[in-house]
Parts: sequence; C-alpha cells; structure tokens
Amino acid sequence: MVQINFSLKEVNCKVVYYGPGLSGKTTNLEVVHQKAPKGSVGDLTSIATEGDRTLFFDFLPLNLGQVAGMKTKFQIYTVPGQVYYNSTRKLVLQGADGVVFVADSKKGKMPENLESLENLMENFREYGMDPETTPIVLQYNKRDLPEIYTIEEMDAELNRWNCLTFEAVARDGNGVFPTLKALAGQVLESLNRQHSGGSVAQRRPAAVAVGAGVAAGGGGGQQSAQASPAVSVGQATGRAQPMRATGQAVPMQGGVRVSAKNQSISVAKNKKKNRSKGMLWVMLGFVALAGAGAYLHFSGKLAALLGQ
Amino acid sequence: MVSDSDHLREKRVVFYKEDVEKINEVLIEFLKLSDSKCNILIDKEGHMVTKAGKTGAIDLQSVSALVAGSYAATREMARLLGEDEFSVLFHQGRKDSIQLTLVGDRTILATVFDERTTIGMVRLYAKEASEKLEEIFRAILERPPQEGEDLDKNFGEDAKGALDFFFVD
Repeated sequence: MVQINFSLKEVNCKVVYYGPGLSGKTTNLEVVHQKAPKGSVGDLTSIATEGDRTLFFDFLPLNLGQVAGMKTKFQIYTVPGQVYYNSTRKLVLQGADGVVFVADSKKGKMPENLESLENLMENFREYGMDPETTPIVLQYNKRDLPEIYTIEEMDAELNRWNCLTFEAVARDGNGVFPTLKALAGQVLESLNRQHSGGSVAQRRPAAVAVGAGVAAGGGGGQQSAQASPAVSVGQATGRAQPMRATGQAVPMQGGVRVSAKNQSISVAKNKKKNRSKGMLWVMLGFVALAGAGAYLHFSGKLAALLGQ
Repeated sequence: MVSDSDHLREKRVVFYKEDVEKINEVLIEFLKLSDSKCNILIDKEGHMVTKAGKTGAIDLQSVSALVAGSYAATREMARLLGEDEFSVLFHQGRKDSIQLTLVGDRTILATVFDERTTIGMVRLYAKEASEKLEEIFRAILERPPQEGEDLDKNFGEDAKGALDFFFVD
C-alpha cells in the first residue's frame, strides 16, 4: 500500500518481483542495483540461504527523486520462488502496490511458471487484491537460451489480464529497466488517479475470452518499450489485445487455460481447507523451522545495520 | 481473507504534517523517559513513518523493511500457535539492542537502546507510548479521507518525466 507522508514529503511504494524459483528475480534486482544512477539506490539486502537461494526476500530501496515536490521512493522486494517457501512468500506480497512476474522462458519450465502464477493468484485472493486492477507486468526472462517457448506460447499461458509483457535477458541486463519502469509507471499512475478525484481502481481492458483470440496485428498490437508506461492501464483502448513491449504483434491465443497443474493446485487447496490437526502440527513445525532460519538471518541483518 | 488489510487498503495510508507532529511528541517523550537511543515508527509494509533520537548512520529504509518482515513472520507464527499477535519482539546485541512494539494494527515502534537503560524501562514506557500512539491513529482513521492536503495535480506528469530520466537503459 502506498504511503503518502506529507510531513517527510515522501511517497513510498512497494513493488514485488514474483515468479518460480531460479527465474531471475534476484538477478533483476542486482541489475537495477548496478545500473541505477549513483546515490539513488541503497544497499541490496538479501535474506538468503547458504547456497544463495532467497530464503525470505531480497530488498532494494530505490529513490526516484522529486516528483511534484514529493520524494518518491520504491521499496523493491523479491519473494523466494521455491514452492517450499509459500508462507514467507505470502508475507512479502502483503501490501504490494505492484507486481513484476518473472517467468522462465526455457522449454519445460511452463508448469513451474503456471504453478507460481496460480500461487500468486491464491495469495492475491487471500489479501483481497484484484489482478484486474493491481499493476502487474510480466517479464519473459532468459530469452537468450536456445530452447525457449515462443512469445505466443508465453502469452497464451501466462498473460491473463492484458498486462504489459517484456522480453528480457536479466543476466545481461537486457529488459530489466523497461520492466521496472513500466511497473513503476503503472503504480504512480494508479496513485495519481486515486488522488486526482478519479476512481480508486481502474480495470484493465476486458481480457480476451477463451477461444476468441483477437489478432493484435494491423499496427495496433505493438507497444514500444519506450512508450510511457504510466498511461498503459488508463489509456489502453477498449480493444482486447495483448499489450506487448517488445517483439512482433501476435495473435492472442486466449485467456486462462485450465491445465493439469491448475487442477492439482485446486486439490491442494481443498486439502488445505480440510487439514487435520496433525497437518497443522506438521505446518507449525515447518514454519517454526523456516521462521527460526529467517530469525537468525534477521538478527544478523539488523545487528549489522545497527553496527553490532 | 484478511479483513483488516481490506479496510486499510480502502483507507490508504496518508500521514499529514500535524499528525506526524503529534506522533513525534509522543516519541520524544518516550525517548527521554526510557533513555533509549532512537525510536523509529514503521508501517507494516516496511515504510518509515517518522523517527526520534539519534539514528546516525543507520540505514533507515533497510531497517524498516527488515523490521516489517520480522514482524510479519512473527505474526504468522503467532497465528499458527493460536495467538492473535505477539505484541513485543526483542533482539539483544552486544552493545545495542532493539525492541519492536506493535502499535495499533498497522504500525511497529522500533526502539534502539544500549546499556544506559534496561529492557524493563524500555518495555514499561513503550507500553505507555504505544497506547498514546494508538489514540492518534484512531483519530486519523476516523477522519474523513477528503480532508487535508493532497498530491499536486502535476504529480502524474512529473512522474512520467522522473521515470524517463531515471530509467535510461
């Protein structure tokens, strides 16, 4: 949730990078940390395992500078991608003003992308967040690999809300800035709408219905990465079309596809609802374990920051 | 569903100058009474609201994010144990220690102190300060949202310019 502090003359926004394990979320943050103008970003804090896998979150404070007399800041987080860490992932998502979903383009990774996206939706629901109105940008990462899904395939499976999409090779720094710029623009535009007397939330153009794919060609389907992202939600036309930042105009394949993976997640949800006391204790043990690990890291990080 | 989040989302988090002045008064009083080094008030999203005392070289943004994360993890553990919330957290260091006190349902008071005082003193006065701060937040939440200053009408345009300037690929 955006915090507007008129005393400090600050606007603070929270942005979260979501996606499956090893899709490149932390790499995105590392690139932002390296490429951002000097003095505009703070230290990159990682609460990670010994093996450098994110345990709780990575955190990067970014100061955009003065915007209409307000110091505008973004707190950028990544979540742990591994399925195992859903409890901590959910905590990081709380209060997010915008989400970058980093998908892995490598062939064979679609089930993991879908599982993570379903998990995002489940956590959205838990927090009462609406994917239609929350700023979301999709990043299709690892486009340099030899065996990858086509953009059409990625769109068809993952782009359910007409979000802006970006191709990226985060490891080389490509596509990282355009992705974050687009999301930051949407977050600030959303804030601006709320404070200029408009409606609090504005829905994206209606998603393309399953089976009613609309060709986004004819010059209308492409959106340049340089186009101002701040207007992408508010000024998108009523035409249902995929909103693409790079690449060629392609036909939209459809909306949500129900896959075997989705069904397995539904089963998991039902099980969760009906969990027994035994299950609760197993979860408790698991969370206590994860929590204890996180605490050790927290204490260490806090102590370091306090100069201990 | 997390009902309080819905409520807070609707309300939006806006702190006006006069609110923060009142909060600062409470924090400064608490600082003197407890003899602590500094107090930082942080919202649950990890954004700092205000501070009092000597924060020196502390990276306030990072500390705020870690405090919020720490609290979120604790809250989840409390929930699984059947507690509503653990309202106080304490990390002891060799020189400095930090106590985290929940204030209302959406802010955390982080108190950094050293050997000049004791955990008992900090805890005693933190409780008092927390109650006073809750009063202030209650008044803020009950106030109609349309009152008070707002963002400049050029915010949207300026934001686009700032983004173009910042994100030069």
